[in-house]
Amino acid sequence: MKKIDLHMHTISTISDSHFEFSLEKLKEYVELAELDAIAITNHDIFDLAQFNEICEALNCVVFPGIEINLGAGHLLLISENHDLEDFQLKATEVAKKVVAIGDSINVDDLMRIFGNLNNYLLIPHYEKKPSLHAETIKRLKDVISAGEVDSPKKFVRMSKDETELTPVIFSDMRFYVGMTKFPTRQTYIDCGDISLKSLKFALRDRSKVSLSKLDGNSTFQVFEDGQCLSTGLNVILGARSSGKTETLTQINNSCENVKYIPQFSLVQRDDTNYEKEFNADVTRKKSIFSDKHLAPFKTVLDDVLSIDTEINKRRVADYLDTLMKSAEEAQKFDSFSRASLFNETLFDLGEHTSLTELVGSVRQLIENIEFRDVIDKYVDTTALKALACELIAILWSKAYERKKKTSVNDIVREVKSKLQLKTSATQIKDVDLYRVMFEHKKLLKFNEIAKLLQEEKIIYQESFQGFKVVCKQRAFQGPGEIKNVSGQKVAFSDAFRDYAHPAKYLSSLKANEAFTPSEFYKYFACIEYEILNKDGFKVSGGERSEFRLLQEIKDAQNFDYLLIDEPESSFDNLFLKSEVNQMLKEISKSMPVVIVTHNSVVGASIRADYIIYTAKELEEQKITYRRYSGHPSSRELISTDGKKINNFKVTMDSLEAGESAYMERKVGYENIKN
Amino acid sequence: MKILKIEKSQGYYRDTEGNYETIDKIDKAVLLALVNLALTDDFEIDEYNEEDLKNQAHQIIYKSISSKLIDLHRRRSQFRDESERLFLEEYEKYKA
Repeated sequence: MKKIDLHMHTISTISDSHFEFSLEKLKEYVELAELDAIAITNHDIFDLAQFNEICEALNCVVFPGIEINLGAGHLLLISENHDLEDFQLKATEVAKKVVAIGDSINVDDLMRIFGNLNNYLLIPHYEKKPSLHAETIKRLKDVISAGEVDSPKKFVRMSKDETELTPVIFSDMRFYVGMTKFPTRQTYIDCGDISLKSLKFALRDRSKVSLSKLDGNSTFQVFEDGQCLSTGLNVILGARSSGKTETLTQINNSCENVKYIPQFSLVQRDDTNYEKEFNADVTRKKSIFSDKHLAPFKTVLDDVLSIDTEINKRRVADYLDTLMKSAEEAQKFDSFSRASLFNETLFDLGEHTSLTELVGSVRQLIENIEFRDVIDKYVDTTALKALACELIAILWSKAYERKKKTSVNDIVREVKSKLQLKTSATQIKDVDLYRVMFEHKKLLKFNEIAKLLQEEKIIYQESFQGFKVVCKQRAFQGPGEIKNVSGQKVAFSDAFRDYAHPAKYLSSLKANEAFTPSEFYKYFACIEYEILNKDGFKVSGGERSEFRLLQEIKDAQNFDYLLIDEPESSFDNLFLKSEVNQMLKEISKSMPVVIVTHNSVVGASIRADYIIYTAKELEEQKITYRRYSGHPSSRELISTDGKKINNFKVTMDSLEAGESAYMERKVGYENIKN
Repeated sequence: MKILKIEKSQGYYRDTEGNYETIDKIDKAVLLALVNLALTDDFEIDEYNEEDLKNQAHQIIYKSISSKLIDLHRRRSQFRDESERLFLEEYEKYKA
């Protein structure tokens, strides 16, 4: 097995925060991590002189490379260690194109500059940001050997998936003057000798690549002293003050994207405060849920918000009044009021929305790339283009007609008002009855929808490890409830009188300028979000903590590591054994989980994959902290400096207060049972 | 074709049949037909003149309509271009 790290930086470029390179530190790292091969991969640059200096100083294989801004992602391109002048020339071409932040080259540039890409080892940022675009990876798939990831979780997931690239994990480190900690992200590869060719050959077979030297992908190195962790479930045991929590803190600091649940963080300390905090959390979730549930209603409301029924009524009344009056005055018409245009109505200028949308849709069918094959199977693109042209031509003629009518309307309006100035006859006021009726229908529909929303019913229900999350909709029972939802100081009592008639209620809300129209959609129905225990009652204080722990564990799926410090300090054993252990076991199948515990229910019943025993030892009157680790079935646990300790004894001491206490308890239980 | 004319102190418009009617009878449908004609090259009207046109109601209608139609006629190319600018790029692309 060879240990490799093919991604590191030795030059500070525009893509890095500034650092001063230290060859000494790089040398120290290569020796400490016992690396067999590295690659120098600076951002869009290759410095031959510095590379030669590095090769000279190090005792391992060093490959020349470059990390290229390819589109929006990064690609490692690593070369064989010969023809370096040629490689330098090619890299310089990349450097010329990437001179400012945001610059990049494309695949065509890459092929033009480097020629046959088969001569290089290509590794894109894959499950790591900024990752190469899926299309680019598809284009380069024949020349890509592996995909870079940034955590053991992603490494294990990809290594199990035959359809994925072979995963590799590298340090991506900048070696600077004064650095004190070295990375532990490297990859083991079973490749015989180390040449670019043999690396590429080995990377083709995912079983030849692993996170650890001896345990395949079941463990990975977490600290620079060589300490490993399981990629599954780890339990940390040890006496008080022996460094258990310190170990978790160190993991938290040296790894990225960690979910850390510290000791007592979920315990109910101050009841009122805790309840407030818990309720705030519930409120936040409720508001997300409620917004989602009310989104369609909001669209309807936005549509009817501009309708003013009062104005519409007044327009109809004005029309009728002037019509009647004008009829009465028919005999008295003068030459001005007798002109046809005196009472002429305006042309209706409808928008061509549906036609414009249709043109857009046809255009999408023509230009879509993602589903090209399927579209081509059913429709001929040439016919689609002809259709688009014809539709656009119709649109032009409609737009032309519309413009003409606009001109006519302008004339009619002007003539009407001028004629009106010269006569005492009543001019009939125009009304758009179509619009008035359409808006009236809209409001009726709005009423119907708002009433549906006010019917009491459960809209969402989720069972979660013995708890039940229930969301309900119902009508508000009083103005106070709406005021609470609104978070406003203004009272809703006036508007609430019309609450039973949604359209009327909306008018009342609009009438009060203190309310914000964009918030109106929240004031029509009450959305409740409750968490109930298994018996269907509101959760108690203790149950709240349990619920939160389970939620936190569930939330860990979005992270790359989960660390929990003494969960037993807040919960009873039955809860730990049934709910918590089950979830932790499940989640550890997809990511590293580390639990610190003194409790046998957690420590022993959970059947961990890896045990770490922390010890504070007195050696030559000096205190030394040591970690012993190994598999649970191992007879001995071993420290990174080679010391051994009896696994059975330390497990008994840590979880059962020693073997004799365990036996005593066992006898005691037997007696009670009999 | 003369679509608005002044004769015997009265204003007239030309209807679709080619007969001339007094301008106080004009409605929006006729007006639209006149707008169509104003957008063609074949467009002619008697210019508004208060001396010749004595009827006051006719004055108001004739003055407003004639000035608008003259303006439209002058800008007829622009008028058409603006309508056909919609999706023009796509049209050119797909027409090829």
